[in-house]
Amino acid sequence: MSFQVKYFGMLAEIAGLSDEVWNAGGELTVGQFRAQVLDKYPAMRDKKFKIAVNRKISEDFVPIEIPAEVALLPPFAGG
Amino acid sequence: MYLSKSRRRLHCCRHLQEDNRRTMEKTHKPKKVFIEGPINPEFVAKSIASHQSKTGIGAHAIFLGQIRADQKEGGAVAGIDYTAYEEMAEQAFHDIREAAFTKFELTCMHIYHSLGVVPTGEISLFVFVSSPHRRAAFEASEYIVEEIKAKVPIFGKELVGETGQHVWKENR
Repeated sequence: MSFQVKYFGMLAEIAGLSDEVWNAGGELTVGQFRAQVLDKYPAMRDKKFKIAVNRKISEDFVPIEIPAEVALLPPFAGG
Repeated sequence: MYLSKSRRRLHCCRHLQEDNRRTMEKTHKPKKVFIEGPINPEFVAKSIASHQSKTGIGAHAIFLGQIRADQKEGGAVAGIDYTAYEEMAEQAFHDIREAAFTKFELTCMHIYHSLGVVPTGEISLFVFVSSPHRRAAFEASEYIVEEIKAKVPIFGKELVGETGQHVWKENR
C-alpha cells in the first residue's frame, strides 16, 4: 500500500523535502510507520513529533487506512 | 425579530471579513485565519471600528501576540518564519471557535495568525472577542489563545542574528 506523507518544520529540514509517497509492504499502524520513518531518517530519532492521519493526531496503535494523508508534526509554535 | 446566535455570528464575521479583504488587498493575501506577513495595527483598529454598529456588545477583549527578541547562542531573534499544516490548522481553528461560542456568551469572534516572516516587535496573532459583558470576553480570549498554542499545527523558525542561523520554536 502507498500513501502521501507530509513533513513540517524541522522534520522537513531533516527529510530534505516536504512531502513524498510512502510505499509500505503491507498494512501499517501509525507505530509501525513511525519505525519505518526513523529507519529512513535516523536524524529524527531525537526529535519530538506527533503523527496525524487524515489531519487527526493518531496514537501508535491506529491502523493507517488508505487513502491516507499522513503528516509528521513537530512541536507547535503558534501565537 | 430575534436573530439566533449563529445568524448574528455569521453576520458579524462576514462584515469584518469583507473589511479585511478591502484593507489587506494590496499588501496581504488573507486566507481565512492566515495572513501573509505581520498583522498590521491599522487592521486591528479597523476591526474595532467595524463593530461600532453592533450595539449589543458591551465588551471587547483583544489579544495580540508580538515577536520577542529572545537571546539565543548566535544573537537575538530577529523574527519568526511561520509555516503551518494549513488544512489541519483551519480545521483546528474552526473547532476552537465552535467550542468558544459554546462555552462563553460571545457576540463575535475573530482570529488571525501570520504565516511567513514576522520581524521582532511586530504582531503575529490577533484574537478579538466581543460579548455583552466583560467576564465572557476576558475568559474567552484567554481560552482561545491557550487552545491555539496547544492545538493548531503552526511551526515557527526563529531567525537568529544576521547570519542566517535559526532555531525551531516550541510552545510551552
